[in-house]
Amino acid sequence: MWDLYAWLGAFFIIIALLIVIVFQLMCLADLEFDYINPYDSSSRINSVVMPEFIGQGVLCFFYLVTGHWFMSLLCVPYLYHNVQSYMRREHLVDVTEIYNMLKWEKKQRLFKLAYLIILLFLSIFWMIMGALNEHD
Amino acid sequence: MGTENPGRPAFTSRPTSPFTSSPPVATPFSSTNPMVGSGASTFRPNTAAAPQAPPRSPFVPAAGLDRSSFRPPPQSTYSDPSVPSLATSFAPPNSGAFQRFSSPQFPGTAQPPPTQAPPLGQPPIQSPAAQLYSQPGSFRPPTHVPSLPMGSPPIANTMPPVGSMPQASPLYPAARVSGPPPMPGYATQQSKTVPPAPTLQSPFATAPGGYVPTPSVSAPPLHAHQGGYIPPPPVAAPGVLQTQHPGFGPPTGPIQGLLEDFSSLSLGSMPGSLDPGLESKSLPRPLDGDVEPKSFAEMFPMNCHSRFLRLTTSAIPNSQSLVSRWHLPLGAVVCPLAESPDGEEVPIVNFASTGIIRCRRCRTYVNPYVTFAEAGRKWRCNICSLLNEVPGDYFAHLDAVGRRIDLDQRPELTKGSVEFVAPTEYMVRPPMPPLYFFLIDVSISAVRSGMVQVVAQTIKSCLDNLPGFPRTQIGFITFDSTIHFYNLKSSLTQPQMMVVSDLDDIFIPLPDDLLVNLSESREVVETFLDSLPSMFENNLNVESAFGPALKAAFMVMSQLGGKLLIFQNTLPSLGVGRLKLRGDDVRVYGTDKEYTLRVPEDPFYKQMAADFSKYQIGVNIYAFNEKYGDIASLGTLAKYTGGQVYYYPSFQSNIHREKLRHELARDLTRETAWESVMRVRCGKGIRFTSYHGNFMLRSTDLLALPAVDCDKAYAMQLSLEDTLLTTQTVYFQVALLYTASCGERRIRVHTAAAPTVTDLGEMYRQADTGAIISLFSRLAIEKTLTHKLEDARSAVQLRIVKALREYRNLYAVQHRLGGRLIYPESLKFLPLYGLALCKSTVLRGGYADVPLDERSAAGFTMMALPVKKLLKLLYPNLIRLDEYLTKGSYLDDELKNAIKRLPLTAENLDSRGLYLFDDGFRFILWFGRMLSPDISKNLLGQDFAADLSRNQVNFTELNHEMSKRLFALLKKLRETDPSYYQLCHLVRQGEQPREGFLLLANLVEDQMSGTNGYVDWVLQIHRQVQQNA
Repeated sequence: MWDLYAWLGAFFIIIALLIVIVFQLMCLADLEFDYINPYDSSSRINSVVMPEFIGQGVLCFFYLVTGHWFMSLLCVPYLYHNVQSYMRREHLVDVTEIYNMLKWEKKQRLFKLAYLIILLFLSIFWMIMGALNEHD
Repeated sequence: MGTENPGRPAFTSRPTSPFTSSPPVATPFSSTNPMVGSGASTFRPNTAAAPQAPPRSPFVPAAGLDRSSFRPPPQSTYSDPSVPSLATSFAPPNSGAFQRFSSPQFPGTAQPPPTQAPPLGQPPIQSPAAQLYSQPGSFRPPTHVPSLPMGSPPIANTMPPVGSMPQASPLYPAARVSGPPPMPGYATQQSKTVPPAPTLQSPFATAPGGYVPTPSVSAPPLHAHQGGYIPPPPVAAPGVLQTQHPGFGPPTGPIQGLLEDFSSLSLGSMPGSLDPGLESKSLPRPLDGDVEPKSFAEMFPMNCHSRFLRLTTSAIPNSQSLVSRWHLPLGAVVCPLAESPDGEEVPIVNFASTGIIRCRRCRTYVNPYVTFAEAGRKWRCNICSLLNEVPGDYFAHLDAVGRRIDLDQRPELTKGSVEFVAPTEYMVRPPMPPLYFFLIDVSISAVRSGMVQVVAQTIKSCLDNLPGFPRTQIGFITFDSTIHFYNLKSSLTQPQMMVVSDLDDIFIPLPDDLLVNLSESREVVETFLDSLPSMFENNLNVESAFGPALKAAFMVMSQLGGKLLIFQNTLPSLGVGRLKLRGDDVRVYGTDKEYTLRVPEDPFYKQMAADFSKYQIGVNIYAFNEKYGDIASLGTLAKYTGGQVYYYPSFQSNIHREKLRHELARDLTRETAWESVMRVRCGKGIRFTSYHGNFMLRSTDLLALPAVDCDKAYAMQLSLEDTLLTTQTVYFQVALLYTASCGERRIRVHTAAAPTVTDLGEMYRQADTGAIISLFSRLAIEKTLTHKLEDARSAVQLRIVKALREYRNLYAVQHRLGGRLIYPESLKFLPLYGLALCKSTVLRGGYADVPLDERSAAGFTMMALPVKKLLKLLYPNLIRLDEYLTKGSYLDDELKNAIKRLPLTAENLDSRGLYLFDDGFRFILWFGRMLSPDISKNLLGQDFAADLSRNQVNFTELNHEMSKRLFALLKKLRETDPSYYQLCHLVRQGEQPREGFLLLANLVEDQMSGTNGYVDWVLQIHRQVQQNA
């Protein structure tokens, strides 16, 4: 039973992360098509960068404590990337260079998006498996 | 034409007017000209209309080829039959070189046009010598000629340029002349001319079209289509080369065709041999300074002047595959407010009632290339080809050829550069007044160096000349460990000083009177400036609360925007934005971390820069640090706000006073455009993708420039959106929307057109070395911010190599050019400038070679420099002065003769001479060891033998004619280049280490401490070009 709740918890964290990433991508796309100015765009993105990083760390830790070490291991590269960019102080979008960095920032977030979607499917899969096992 | 008086400078100016019958203006592409098949032929009229040949059909033989379109009209050829004109279109620099040798040979050369037998004039061309030595001067001329005979036979009668034959033929001797490296010896070579080539005609007759029209330099079609005539390469030489390439045999007939396509350098044929096989004297050098390619302007006479916009190649590739084979940057350098000489000011147009005419869809401004249709009721946008309505007030009837009848009263329809007065739709707020705010460091070192005093004096002396009277606003903040505000309210008699020492929570003590109207508070401001130096005379504070002071300035200015001038002497040490001494760690150099020293340390500066830009504040930094001052961080403020960095290392007022005074005064008084934005539009299918320079992007293609002036240029790169461009011509339109100092909102619009081409060779031929180097340097500087210096240098080299290799691949196989380096005439200086760039202050060497601050400051400066100034900085002038000084007259033309630029190598420094080195930023006077003591004494006064580094202080004009002449000359040189003040540094031969870093390190052609000399560099490039070529 607990296992099911653990998967459910992970599921919600991943959904939250997905929303944050999609929001960032939307801001970048708006910027690209000139719907918002770089100042607003970067301040919006930057305001959710730390929540994203923390949420991701929490997810990794959550997997670990609930004993899903394999999933936790899957999260590690993502976490490593985040920590790296934080240490290099490159985690925030630079408003002055945002247009030159646009491609890279988008690519980076698209990767994250794909990564999270994979995690999401795995979590759902295990959740359903868990639920079925409960029933049996 | 042949009979024309050779001396008559008849057509020096663009002869647009004579052509009224065949309007080049409104109907650039209408095929009014029956003879011409392709649209490209439009440019022909210029050629043809050369009034000297009225009886002949005005149109050159119909040339079917698209190519012919680029043939620049040879007006200049007519203008003055003497040599230089021939060199016109592509290789203007030649003309200089040419003139030197050949002019004497010309008198009376004009002959009646040999209509049927042009080849007769030709034999001398083949003098292979000319081809052999890539003496730049020697090359072009022959190139013109061949084009004649080729085209002429079939249609000789219709050929207007015939007249140029006679002109051309006398040329050949000249061409030969320059062959052997040591010029004077040339005459002897002439005898060895090669058999004439009467046979020439036949091979060419098959494809005359491409050639005939003009004696222009570019003969693109040749190489591509005329495989048939392929001549043995022009290699065969009676001279040196033959020994190297004996296999090439005697020159045969039609070699000239080749010459048209490229220039070449013969290099040692044995790979790896130490002997360069290359005479260093024969290498091309830009001793005539930067010469813009004229072809661009000639093809499209209504283009804006090249000082405003320069394309890296004025032949735009029409497909992605061409772009990928053009290894140089494809883009433009824009200097929107470049200073125009008197009489050529940009006309101001006021559409008061109609509103500014713009395309509905793409927002292009009306320009000379739009066409009017439907009896003048509609106009077609040249960029997106949308048919727009002509507003009622703007309507004018069309004449028979479709031009508006009021054309001559409409500068916007005839001139490439105009300025529109913008109505209120172009304002988001009332136009701001010119606003100058000063942030002055008054810590101990600033006061001791005398900086504060010079600044105060200079500002005071400029108060009358600040633009925008009577609206100009002014304000001051000074800072050390605290921040001092000044109440300058006009009702006060004395300025009030308010000190804020809470650095963590900055507040403005008096929101209204810190920024005052200059004309109202004039007396208070003057009192303040008078007392400023004495106020802090005894200040012993060593700290600098720069960050908080910056924030305070921002708070004061954010209402209006304007220009913030920062005078900074100490490394920021208190409050936000404090910086560390980080230049000390030698271990970082050469590692992958090296670049971190060149980027701002604290994100605070980038954030502040972004905020400044948002609130229309432009920042100029004046840095005077004695020790490390982290220009890399401070300069960021200028970089993103369209400003400039002035750096005076170890400022001492007795030495640098004049320099600071001049540059600050220029900064304050030059015409400035406020709260501006700039956008460059271009035709369908292409797009500007990246921008390089000092500005901040506000949207993908909108440059935010809080304050712009004539000394700023911006570079941008193009890319093709579609795989294929279908249009014949691409248009570019630069639009700068700004507030003039007078309070008027204006739009400055520059329009230019460039043809698209399908041929790579044409792209290379139409290349503009100046613009390319300008883009190169910006890209390289940006690269140093993320990579090692070494990487940036090798990237430059790699791109040059790739470009030359690509070019070589076009020709080498077909012409068996074995051991020769070939390059298009237009790029002959590219390797040299590339070398100079690698040796420039920004990219040179490693840690020890240039102090970190100096490197950063040079980087920020070069990111904003217009093309001409950049080229001068990269390849400075070196002039010998002693002869000029000892001779005794003041004639102006003599001055011009005296200013003969020398190649930048130490070989040229004669120890008996006195030399002046001028890179636009400083003068260096080099005293040879054996220079006659008289000269030294006359220039330096009694203590001429003393140490020159100390002498610099009192190097002033003496009461002696020679000294007066020298100073008159220096003054004259400074006047030609007023953007910066060239401070005079004196150095004596052998005076180490000053001689080393002042002069020798800047002799870019010399080999020094692990870098290549020019010859080695060319050899190295050549070797790399040949690898897997």
